[in-house]
Amino acid sequence: MREYLSSRLLGVGLAAGLAAVTLVLWLNGQLALYINPSSNWFAVPMALIALVGTILSFALPRGAESDHGHDHGDDHDHDHDHDHEHRSGWGTAATVTGGILATGVVAAIILTPPATLSAELAMQRDTGAPPLFQGADTVALASTGDTAKFGVGEWASVFATATNPEAFDGDTITLTGFVTPTDGGFGLTRLVITHCVIDAQPARVPVVASDVPATGTWVTVTGTIRDAGGRLQIQPASVQTVDQPKDPYEY
Amino acid sequence: MRAAPARTAAAVGIGALVIAALVAVAFLTPGPALPTRAQDGLTLAISVLIESLPFVILGVLLSIVVQVWVPPGAIERWMPSAPWARRAVLSLLGMLIPVCECGNVPFARGLMMRGFGVAETLTFLIAAPIVNPIVIITTHQAFGFDDGILIARLLGGYAVANLIGWLYSRHPDPDGLLTDRFRASCEVSLESAAHGGAGKGRRSLAQFVVELRAVMPALVIGSAVAGAVQVLIPRSALLAIGSNPALSIIAMIALAMIVSICSNVDAFFALSFASTFTPGSIVAFLLVGPLVDVKMLALLRTTLRTKVLAGFVVIVVLFAIAVGSVVNLLA
Repeated sequence: MREYLSSRLLGVGLAAGLAAVTLVLWLNGQLALYINPSSNWFAVPMALIALVGTILSFALPRGAESDHGHDHGDDHDHDHDHDHEHRSGWGTAATVTGGILATGVVAAIILTPPATLSAELAMQRDTGAPPLFQGADTVALASTGDTAKFGVGEWASVFATATNPEAFDGDTITLTGFVTPTDGGFGLTRLVITHCVIDAQPARVPVVASDVPATGTWVTVTGTIRDAGGRLQIQPASVQTVDQPKDPYEY
Repeated sequence: MRAAPARTAAAVGIGALVIAALVAVAFLTPGPALPTRAQDGLTLAISVLIESLPFVILGVLLSIVVQVWVPPGAIERWMPSAPWARRAVLSLLGMLIPVCECGNVPFARGLMMRGFGVAETLTFLIAAPIVNPIVIITTHQAFGFDDGILIARLLGGYAVANLIGWLYSRHPDPDGLLTDRFRASCEVSLESAAHGGAGKGRRSLAQFVVELRAVMPALVIGSAVAGAVQVLIPRSALLAIGSNPALSIIAMIALAMIVSICSNVDAFFALSFASTFTPGSIVAFLLVGPLVDVKMLALLRTTLRTKVLAGFVVIVVLFAIAVGSVVNLLA
């Protein structure tokens, strides 16, 4: 019985739990909290296959997965294996602990509401170097004036790498992000994602302000870009507190 | 042992109900919100899991295909007979199979269950995440041909795969490299393939259950560790040593092992460090990351013994340091 439970729960069970979460997030339009929506076409069908496979696996009789397979306990190994029978105490303990841990993590994933990374994490990851995902094209594009679709990520690249900062002086922009502390104002910050949240990198543009909202507050800033001796910054006309957007990351 | 159709239908019905209940709970998320740090760690772990689950499922499907559906001899006929040539061909197989590292593990297990040698399969397993069309494209997008980073990554990955394949092919008892559990499932699988065994549909389903059982706990724990470590170790601690040619290589190797980013996209991640880190350290990052990060080690542990993995990590890290140093000298 224990063998059967662990074989199903820790295999198809864990996979089905994660697949169910993927599907629910997608249905709620929240999958973007974790992965770049450009890979939804792959993630969602594979989650469905996992769920269908799990449903079918209920028809597989108990023990069918190891047909006449018994474990060969002839090995005097110091190997903490994923095994149950004929195992040393250590091996069993490691397997049971691992199984409980993995089940606990997946249970936590299923039970807790979806969340975004915190502003603290964004600050901790801020290395001063802006993300360069957009590459040199961004800066070239910016100098032709086609900046309508630019987010914080693109502007941060431009601010950091533009060789002709004076060209942007006077441009007006409206950007949404969250507040991180800097000298003489605040950083308007956004996490930029290539593929999934684990590669999230903070992008930040400096906003000049004497009245600084609390760290982590989401704001929409409308203002003008000013060239302060070769360093670009934003002179805000208005700073408005907003709700966290549905897609808090940029891609 | 054939179940009556009515019983099968009932079992599938129960399965459907269980899954429906699971989806409903996932909808309701009745749990409490967590403290910030813990939540960030969990968010990171979830993102790795959601990102890699589809690749794992695809890998399991491919493993079912090679193991149950491809007739015996169909692949073997195309393989050269000299061992080194077989390894050289297998290490290019990754070109045709665009699964990144998480999907490769179940696929490689399928190859071994089919009867491919341990050293040969290892060669595939190491080369595939690097000499992979998607990885080549994204690395090229990120770096172009600057500083020889792309070339060093491809040739380095191909070389280290064949080096490790060669080293382990000299092992007197190749099966001794495998965990007992996996060896047992290989025997079962070869036996049932030889005797015809149960129907193909049922064997596929059994393989689905077995492979997920092997891979899922490791994937979950590996991702949780990757999430936790990222929250606990401040990145600035690693980056403080960025510009020193020797230390930067070590720092980027450590970073690669911790962050566990899929090799399909790690080039973009590395790109943001390119301004502060030496090119050699970037190459080291791109070589180590796909092969021996935290998540990957947990996955490989399902199949290979700890001793083998330790050797594996040492070789890959030393190799990456060597390649990185050469790139730094040339660049």
